[in-house]
Amino acid sequence: MNVRNVFLVMKKDLSGLGKERTIVLAILLQLFVALFSSFLMVGLTSMYDPSSLARYSVVKYQVGYVGESPDLRDLLQKSNQFQIYSMDLSTAVAALTERKLSAVVYVPDTGMDADDPVKITLYSLQNDIQSTIVNVQLKEVFLDYEEKLRETRSGRLDLLPVTVEFPASRSAPGFYEFIYGLLIPLLLFMPAIISAALIIDLVTEEYQHHTLETLLSTPMTMTEVVWGKIVACLVLVPVQAGCWLLLLTLNRIAIANMLQILLLVITSSMVLILIGALTALYYRERTAAQFIFSTAVVVLMLLVLAFPNNPLNLIALLATGSAGIEQWVILGGSLLVCGILGFITHAFATRVSTRAPGE
Amino acid sequence: MTLLQFLGQIATLARWEIKRTFGIMGKSMLPAAVILFVLLIAVTGFTAERGLHLQDGLYRIGVDDQKLAAIFGGDERFSIDVSDSVTLVEHRTDYDIVIVEGQAYIQRNDRGRSALKTLQRDYQQYLDSVYSQQQDLFAAYPLWIDLQEVKSEIDFSATASGQTISVSPASTAPPVPEGPIVQVPEPDPGVAISPEDLRQGLQESLGQQQDQLARYSDLVGPESPFGSFKTPSQLSPPLPFDSIILVFLFIFPLYFTSQFYMMSIMQERLERKGEVLLSSPAGAPAIIFGKALPYFIGMLAISAGIALYLQVPLEILLPLFPVILFFLANALLIGMASRSFKELSFISIFFSTVATSYLFFPSIFANVHVISLVSPLTLVVLTLQGEAYTLSQYLFSTSLFFLTSVTLFYVGIVNFKEERLFSQAGILRRIREFVSTSLSEKHPWVSLFAINAFVVPFVFMMQMLLLVLFFNLPMPLSLILLIVSAAFVEEIAKSVGICTFLLESPHLFSWARVVLGAAVTAAAFLFAEKLLLFVTLTQITESVFGSILFLSSGALTLVLPFLLHFIGVLIVASFVKFTGAKGYIPGILLATIVHSLYNGYFILGWLM
Repeated sequence: MNVRNVFLVMKKDLSGLGKERTIVLAILLQLFVALFSSFLMVGLTSMYDPSSLARYSVVKYQVGYVGESPDLRDLLQKSNQFQIYSMDLSTAVAALTERKLSAVVYVPDTGMDADDPVKITLYSLQNDIQSTIVNVQLKEVFLDYEEKLRETRSGRLDLLPVTVEFPASRSAPGFYEFIYGLLIPLLLFMPAIISAALIIDLVTEEYQHHTLETLLSTPMTMTEVVWGKIVACLVLVPVQAGCWLLLLTLNRIAIANMLQILLLVITSSMVLILIGALTALYYRERTAAQFIFSTAVVVLMLLVLAFPNNPLNLIALLATGSAGIEQWVILGGSLLVCGILGFITHAFATRVSTRAPGE
Repeated sequence: MTLLQFLGQIATLARWEIKRTFGIMGKSMLPAAVILFVLLIAVTGFTAERGLHLQDGLYRIGVDDQKLAAIFGGDERFSIDVSDSVTLVEHRTDYDIVIVEGQAYIQRNDRGRSALKTLQRDYQQYLDSVYSQQQDLFAAYPLWIDLQEVKSEIDFSATASGQTISVSPASTAPPVPEGPIVQVPEPDPGVAISPEDLRQGLQESLGQQQDQLARYSDLVGPESPFGSFKTPSQLSPPLPFDSIILVFLFIFPLYFTSQFYMMSIMQERLERKGEVLLSSPAGAPAIIFGKALPYFIGMLAISAGIALYLQVPLEILLPLFPVILFFLANALLIGMASRSFKELSFISIFFSTVATSYLFFPSIFANVHVISLVSPLTLVVLTLQGEAYTLSQYLFSTSLFFLTSVTLFYVGIVNFKEERLFSQAGILRRIREFVSTSLSEKHPWVSLFAINAFVVPFVFMMQMLLLVLFFNLPMPLSLILLIVSAAFVEEIAKSVGICTFLLESPHLFSWARVVLGAAVTAAAFLFAEKLLLFVTLTQITESVFGSILFLSSGALTLVLPFLLHFIGVLIVASFVKFTGAKGYIPGILLATIVHSLYNGYFILGWLM
């Protein structure tokens, strides 16, 4: 196998990609996914986490309070989120429908230590995003009230839980698990998927456009062509993954063990690319190859994700700096798989090259 | 050609298409596909059983009590060491959290704090599981909330269009309603459900809390099994998790099948194979629909099969129908436009991601807000939950899909001819060619009017996507982003027709005609906007966001929005007339700024 020929094929395919410029779409796509998921996360959290919301707003929501019991009323007032008005039920509900109130709370005079539970009726606006926020803020107060009621009634509990005291902490970084445990692994694996789809296109295109004959009429062999394409797809992986790492770092998301992460991404991508190459060489037709390959990848990914310490899990651990010695075992394992698949691909490419194309 | 002949041609072409597809498949793909399909089902079951292991061992905690290790051991995110307190304190830096004698100590960094949050959530679940077993259930769950939803009478048609709930002044006097007061009966303080039923329901909802999505935020509270009757922790709106998984089940086969159609169109272009078809008496419409028919029927059949398997009513096909059309229409154009397999892959991956975002994310909010109705999948979620939707809701979420599909099919049909199919020009150039073929040089005004009317559904779609995207951000920022981006999208859409004319046939357009063209564009845009709003009306315009998107067609006079559209187009067209294609981007930017200022003026009272 001539390395120069491999290099030539690689250069040809990469410049083809550059000319079409549609790879820009692939990059855009990744950005889009990242943006969308982060927006969604930030949105969800700020919407449902009253403390993060309170930073943005100094407004007090106006709540109608119906009932005599003072305990809940005090709690509502203390939370500083609400303006409380004592009203009668019908007036309050009428004001609510005119959006002059955000919610109406009806409290019966059930005693704190009564046998029955305290049953509050909460009137809120249907299908309204703002009333959802108000409800979540009310929920915090209700939880406090529930805690207070539980305390009053604690003598009646017959099973006592193990107690753990937690330190008071600044509000936790809400996105930590999302960023490290989901976003980073997915972002870093997207280049792998893109490259694997790409190798199928590159190989089947030569067959279906009948350009392979021309290519093979030069001193190049089939194995050189195949390896050239594999290398072309592979070099795109660290470039994209590296960009992601850089972007995330610029975004002040600290990522530990970048080198190991890149190594892991490259070897795992190689596995997918080799499977893609094999499928393409076998079918030589895009529809079939892409269909079989994508189904196979879904099966493989699901299977791998069912076990701890899979590559995606490992990326999360590496990025947070919690990975132990097992990382080298997994890296070694995926290198081994690469070797085996590489050998098969090589052998298969040699064999198909002796057949006339289309046979 | 009679209709019957046309249908006959479609049927013939559909038969050929089926034969061709199975010709490819039959050879060697079918056995592999069957094996993979069986494997897929098996693996899905296996993985569903074991759970996804993405974050295992993310945190290390040390505890001095075996009981605590058992409590938190169920969460695979923790790797737990049990040791005596002295050792733990000594090696505390090795752990994110150390629990010694019932007191938790954490590392003061992000990971430590995040671990604490997770730990607290787990501990809360443990408490709940203990509480739900208490003899005296009402000692453990002393507070219940009956959530009554009230429909607001203020809708968009009132003067207070887009009004939010009053959060205004700290006045001490309670608000007084203006309208008549309807007598509301006092709720009964008693609980209508027996404690044993409540206990059972609580234990069931505890099981639901474990699911994977819920771990990212507290928002997705467990759904109360008693309808509107909840404990405080169940007060947040539930995430329709199961339904969303099922929605994916419906959507995936649709993607795959539309890929086959895309590829089939692409095949015709390889080596000019399609020339044979094109020279046959069947016209472009017959070819396109004939080829699409098997896939269309296939998609419907698959969806119906899934529905039968899940034992959900077949009405679920109604909202899926426009989605199928939309996929096929896009597949057609992508297959016609891309130059190579690589391009086909990239564009189709791009398209499917954007389409998934549009379809899928809003349905997460199915129980929260009407905004979710922008996606037909929300209707699927509602059907799965056994809730009904109205005809107007159906129209609202599907009309854009129907309209855009029809437009795309039209563009596909007029461009389905030799010089377009076998051209190797770049993608942007090809899109321009496609548009220009759809325009007629003989009737420039009619074409301009038509293209601008038909582009409006796409604009709405884009703006809906933006709305979903931005409505997550904190308030002032989301408004500004929405104003600017909505203006940007509108300006681009309006410029498509007239700029294509200017670039493809510059001789047709003198300055006077540019002005007239801008006027026609503005009129068409306004007309279609009005018409579409008339159909979809009330659903979205209620909120303040709606008023931004649709301000230019709001209750104001018709003159101002017309002028706005007119000026926007004129700016872009003048730039292009002056400097050619180079002038496009500066023109768009300037028009966007003008448009944003206008919108800002009317919504936020800027410049006042």
